[in-house]
Amino acid sequence: MFSLLYWVWIILGGILIGAGVHFIPVGGAPAAMSQATGVGTGTTMLAAASGLTGLIGAGSAYAATGGDFGYTIVMGGISAALMISILAFIANVMYVYGAGVPLASAKVKYDPISKWRQDLYVSRGTEGHGTPMSSFISGIIGAFLAGVGGALVYFALAASYAGIPGFGATFAGYPAPYYVSLAAAFAIGIFFLNCVMASYNIGGTIEGFHDPKFRRLPKSILASLVVSAVGGLFALLIVVMLPGGI
Amino acid sequence: MAEGERSPRQLLTIGVVGGLIGIYLANYLNSTTGTAWFSFFAGLGAVLAVFWGADAVRRVASYGLGTGVPSIGLLSLGAGQVAVLLGLAVAMNYSIHWAAPIIALILAAIIGLVSGVMARRVIKMNIAIMERSMMEIAMAASLIMLGFSTTIAGGFGFDLIMKYVVASGFIIAVFIVGGMAMLHPFNACLGPDERQKRTLNLALSTGFIAMLVAGIAAGAINGIQAAVPTMIIAIFGWIIYYLRFFADTKQDAAAVLSTGLLPKEEEVA
Amino acid sequence: MDPQMMVELGALTLVGAAALIAGVAEDLESDVGSQSNPNSQVQLAPQMGYLHRLYNKAISGEPASYPFYAAIGASTALAVLSITGNSSLIGVFFALVAGAFVTSLIHGVYATTSYMGRLASQSRFGQPIYMDVLRTHTPVLMAHGFVANFSVLLLTWVIIAQHFSPFPFVVLAFIWGIALGGVGSAVGDVHLGTDRYYQDRPYGSGVNAAHSGSVVRKAESGLRNSIDCAWFCSKFGGPLTGLGFGLVVYLHFWKEVVVTGWWSVLAGVIIVVIFIIMNTYLERYSRQRYGTYKAEAEE
Repeated sequence: MFSLLYWVWIILGGILIGAGVHFIPVGGAPAAMSQATGVGTGTTMLAAASGLTGLIGAGSAYAATGGDFGYTIVMGGISAALMISILAFIANVMYVYGAGVPLASAKVKYDPISKWRQDLYVSRGTEGHGTPMSSFISGIIGAFLAGVGGALVYFALAASYAGIPGFGATFAGYPAPYYVSLAAAFAIGIFFLNCVMASYNIGGTIEGFHDPKFRRLPKSILASLVVSAVGGLFALLIVVMLPGGI
Repeated sequence: MAEGERSPRQLLTIGVVGGLIGIYLANYLNSTTGTAWFSFFAGLGAVLAVFWGADAVRRVASYGLGTGVPSIGLLSLGAGQVAVLLGLAVAMNYSIHWAAPIIALILAAIIGLVSGVMARRVIKMNIAIMERSMMEIAMAASLIMLGFSTTIAGGFGFDLIMKYVVASGFIIAVFIVGGMAMLHPFNACLGPDERQKRTLNLALSTGFIAMLVAGIAAGAINGIQAAVPTMIIAIFGWIIYYLRFFADTKQDAAAVLSTGLLPKEEEVA
Repeated sequence: MDPQMMVELGALTLVGAAALIAGVAEDLESDVGSQSNPNSQVQLAPQMGYLHRLYNKAISGEPASYPFYAAIGASTALAVLSITGNSSLIGVFFALVAGAFVTSLIHGVYATTSYMGRLASQSRFGQPIYMDVLRTHTPVLMAHGFVANFSVLLLTWVIIAQHFSPFPFVVLAFIWGIALGGVGSAVGDVHLGTDRYYQDRPYGSGVNAAHSGSVVRKAESGLRNSIDCAWFCSKFGGPLTGLGFGLVVYLHFWKEVVVTGWWSVLAGVIIVVIFIIMNTYLERYSRQRYGTYKAEAEE
């Protein structure tokens, strides 16, 4: 059934995805040369890698509990946070033992969380390397938000589509019902809409909540709000258009 | 725009008209004859949409997006995917089956325009053609997704697409394979000496690869009737345009050597 | 321990092992092709006057290309299974092999187009296209890609067959492709970008931004090619990537299989906290062991 509450959840989910991207420490291409602090991948895809892993967790949780709201949302968030904590830790092992550099950031003199001195540990001609404490924590927060956002979108869509007559069927003996497939595909689409918008706002690299670029967050929230409102409305209107199912 | 290039308007016409004609031909020939032999027309239409979308990506990405070429393609496909399914559902609800592709195209344009306005006015990206490009790419993406989905399902009714493309998960394959076909050409030809003709020949070649994948997937739904013609045409199309791309590469490259050491500095000059 | 959980843990071990192999193969494949992040250096080199014989495979970043391969492989496997049926184990196995095979062919085609396309677009710097580089590197790429994709398809199939996830096969393979590409480009690329491409620079510091593009072009004997890079990275970058992706997939499902309900959330939180603690020790170790780059007074 169509419900305005589900639309609000999709919009809120979109905003959380966009906000989460700003928390995730992204070094982009320079990070692979130990030239920038953060994890070495593009903003969009790193957020997608963790957030969509969260979506898998949310999907399993939704199916296991038959649509328990709180559990689905939290599982989405924690699965994404788990993914990025492993990813950033293993990348740090690579920096320390493979490249032989200490973990440091050039944007701040003292790390806001560990209070450790940063600038002396930055090698010449670089802007830091690895994912130090604050960026690491920031990344976990960001992935949690993005995962919760993705799970909110998935939950709203799955709960809406599950009521359409005929959407409980499955394809050729495979276990996935129609509504799960459609909700998962749209959740991926809306996830990309929001995280690409956020990555345009960041424009390259960001270290986490202590980075000056983090102050651009309000613009991204507005953009995410509008984009996911339109995308979410389109996705939910399908429910209105199919009163008799298929 | 350099000499001998295709203009944006020309490409838009090719993409929209070609894409729609292909999708309609496939749907109505299939439903009239009661077979799936004509599914390949939709694939050809989608290849033309790839041709147009690749040029739109090329135009906007040459400004430098700050986060790599693929992002804009993924955004547009996310938008296009929602627009396509809503378009089909609207057509089904109001019993205007014939209008579905056009409704999907209009919805994709709306969502693309909104994204473009947000990117340019709110996020303040300094790209003058952002709104127009995002709109064009989202429209191309919707035609690509609808075209390949029609190839797989054999028609564009909501029930067919839902049952055979979405429920089986092929929609995500269409999403990323069609998206790659559109964004790879410019990404692969990135550089100061990029040339439209070479990029667009590559776009047709990657478009036919995507059609090949759609043909394989169609085999799971409609058997050899859909798969064999689609795959044969895709392979021939791919060979033709890959060879053209190769010829363009030979013409544009500094040198094509079978092997050798690095050129001396005085030779490069 | 109930029998159902033992079966699930066994399946989970298989999933983790497949993920580990996928990670290793993925990283080595991207090293042969100089894909993703270090690609920026290979792309920049001719512009700075350093012509090279390295491969330049820009099929966008790894996190975008791996879902692409995985989706093709999964679709092909589904198409094959629609003919053979998915009841026999050997049939499923061959379907997954067929999926990975078709994927590796398409992967090879895409790889050649980006090598030729990117180098032809740099003609003003005089960078030639070497056909022997194309001929020798592309099959190596395809082979590593085959292993990586087969492993992703296998682990996805086991997840679906064990009902660990309700998503359709193609969607799940797509998401694991993104995760695999994310791990590969975040972990393995550092070994290639910081160490292998700048082996003539002092070890133990980031690459000075002023040196960007001056990649090593001469090998121990003759000229450096990208297959040498995979040989080098197979010693540390590849295995570590495998460990990373293996842990991502294994722990993701471990927390859902061993405990259920809200205990899974608690298990997830505990694992995250453990990783935070380990990271703190690692950071402190690196600072104490390696010391500072400049003295306090220099500021």
